[in-house]
Amino acid sequence: MKQISYLPTISLLLLFLFGVTESAWALQSHGEPEGLYVHQMAHLLFAATLAYLFWHTRRTPAVVSKGWKYLQIFCVLLACWNLLAFAGHEAFEHLTVTDFINKDTWREQLAAPIGPVKALYFVTKMDHFLIVPALLALVISLRTFYREACAGVRE
Amino acid sequence: MTGLPLLPAITVEFIGSALAILLAFVALGYARALTRLQPNNFIWGFLFYFCIAMAAFSLSRGFGHMLRIVLVYSGRDLLWKQLSPFSGGFNTVLMISVAAVTIYYYKGLAAYKAIRTEAEKLADANARLASNAHQLQQLNTHLEEIVEERTRNLSDSEKKFRNLFENSKDIIYFCDINGNISHINSSGIDLLGFDASAQTINFHSLFNNKEVLETYMTELCEKGSVSDLDMQCRGRDGTTRHILLSANAIYDQNGDIVGCEGIGKDMTRLRTITEQLINHEKMASVGQMAAGVAHEINTPLGIILGYTQLMMDDYPNDSETHANLQVIERQTKACRRIVTDLLKFSRQSASVKAHLDINGIIEEVLSVTEHSLNIDRITVTRCFAPELPMVIGDIEKLHQVFINLFNNAQYAMPDGGELTISTDKAREAILVTVADSGIGIADTIKNKIFDPFFTTKDVGRGTGLGLSVTYGIIQEHGGIITVESPVVAGRKTEQMAPGTAFHIRLPAADNHQPKTREDQEYGGNSRT
Repeated sequence: MKQISYLPTISLLLLFLFGVTESAWALQSHGEPEGLYVHQMAHLLFAATLAYLFWHTRRTPAVVSKGWKYLQIFCVLLACWNLLAFAGHEAFEHLTVTDFINKDTWREQLAAPIGPVKALYFVTKMDHFLIVPALLALVISLRTFYREACAGVRE
Repeated sequence: MTGLPLLPAITVEFIGSALAILLAFVALGYARALTRLQPNNFIWGFLFYFCIAMAAFSLSRGFGHMLRIVLVYSGRDLLWKQLSPFSGGFNTVLMISVAAVTIYYYKGLAAYKAIRTEAEKLADANARLASNAHQLQQLNTHLEEIVEERTRNLSDSEKKFRNLFENSKDIIYFCDINGNISHINSSGIDLLGFDASAQTINFHSLFNNKEVLETYMTELCEKGSVSDLDMQCRGRDGTTRHILLSANAIYDQNGDIVGCEGIGKDMTRLRTITEQLINHEKMASVGQMAAGVAHEINTPLGIILGYTQLMMDDYPNDSETHANLQVIERQTKACRRIVTDLLKFSRQSASVKAHLDINGIIEEVLSVTEHSLNIDRITVTRCFAPELPMVIGDIEKLHQVFINLFNNAQYAMPDGGELTISTDKAREAILVTVADSGIGIADTIKNKIFDPFFTTKDVGRGTGLGLSVTYGIIQEHGGIITVESPVVAGRKTEQMAPGTAFHIRLPAADNHQPKTREDQEYGGNSRT
């Protein structure tokens, strides 16, 4: 088979691009909300993958162990945390500077009246009540796996 | 209305962030320990990478939250505003990383399962291979021992069955479908009188009765076996042997009969004993009947004879009536002789027992009969054993025995011949044989010769009581009389007449028994 010579091919392609094109191809600029959108999408993706992992481990457990149950609890709690965080970010976007009193101080408060958005924001600020138990379930799950594996090795 | 304080939420956020970092790293520690424990386990590997991503995410997020609280609430919010995009960016990237690791879990697990299945198959195959190699090695190592042991077992088995075959008292044979014997044990050769060096022996030719042979072949072909078939064949000494035969057919691979294997039991002796028993019972019954008849007839005969003799005194000797009475007297006496013979046969007649020399008795009888025998060109040969023990018996009755036997021998040799009388001693018995070279006795009548009134002589020439009386006398003396015909011993050629021999066995008298005075006076032939 005849071998293609890359150097002449690439040279011709570059010549075509720079010689024939009328306007230059510039990089697209990213506006301020894009970072938030990407972060929110990451939360949704993370939640979706955790839901998938929960479903998969429930359907086809690769090993027989109680550790899978704790791993599934971890998946559920962390997926819920992602959704809560998503909601918290959305709620924060709807709040303005006037909705806070003594902002950025230890005496910071949500200004009255406390509507649904403010209440949701307050609840989502407590998201560690979900993520910490989720990580605890992960620890217990791995510890169970580890102990059973040790027992198996000893046998 | 006052606002809702955020301090509790901030506190929870700070402590929760620290705990999240701590727990994420503890989980990472367990995951790492798992991978070290079982490095080839994909699931532990996945969890390890997942925990790395989670720990990085928790660290980034928790540290960011804690830093924000510290900076913002310490009045350095400008610095935080510069750092917060990096913190948020890290959090986003690490969340996507965790998600990416999780997404590839399925494919990784599938690949791991496939590899593990193949590995298990390979391990199983290796284990089988190792096991087979081990067995092969063992077999190779012990092959010689195994062969030796099996050879020994085979030899033992062969020896066992060879002994059974050779030492069996029954005939064991193997033959092909045409009856040609391939193997036969020594008992068979001996019993059937085969020449051991003969090339071929045909079993079918041994059957005396062709119908029995047909039955044998038919059952063998149809049923595949023969059970308890009574066959007759000619034995070693020319005598007829009765064989109880059982045989099985031998088949080839196509299921066709190629031969048979069988066992034959010689029943001749059992059959003879059975016949003798039957004969003995018959003679006992006939004897009882004869005794009854003789008793009943004896008395009227005595009266007839008495009155006849009285009447003879009343008539002159030359008168016709006297002559008629003489005929009556003669015939009555003949009847009385028959009655006396019947009583002797049935052992009802009176006996006078004494110690007797059997050689002397035979000589006494021969002194009377030898002349008559010589006239008929019969040579008498004496083979007397010297110093025979005495027998206890009635001399008159024993005379009668030998007279009867010599008469029969004379009748059996109308053209002359040889009469051999031999005596011998056995343990506590005396054997006497009276053998002639006459016409012999047919097998069909051999069992009847001792029956009363059975005779082969013409009418008027014999009463048929001679051998019956002989039988009765020998029985009375506690002895046995048997007949042998044709005579085997002493026959020189096949062309010679079959002959007949009567063998008498009488119990010897106890030597320690003291002789009576009369015995001593008469020198052994005396009466007690």
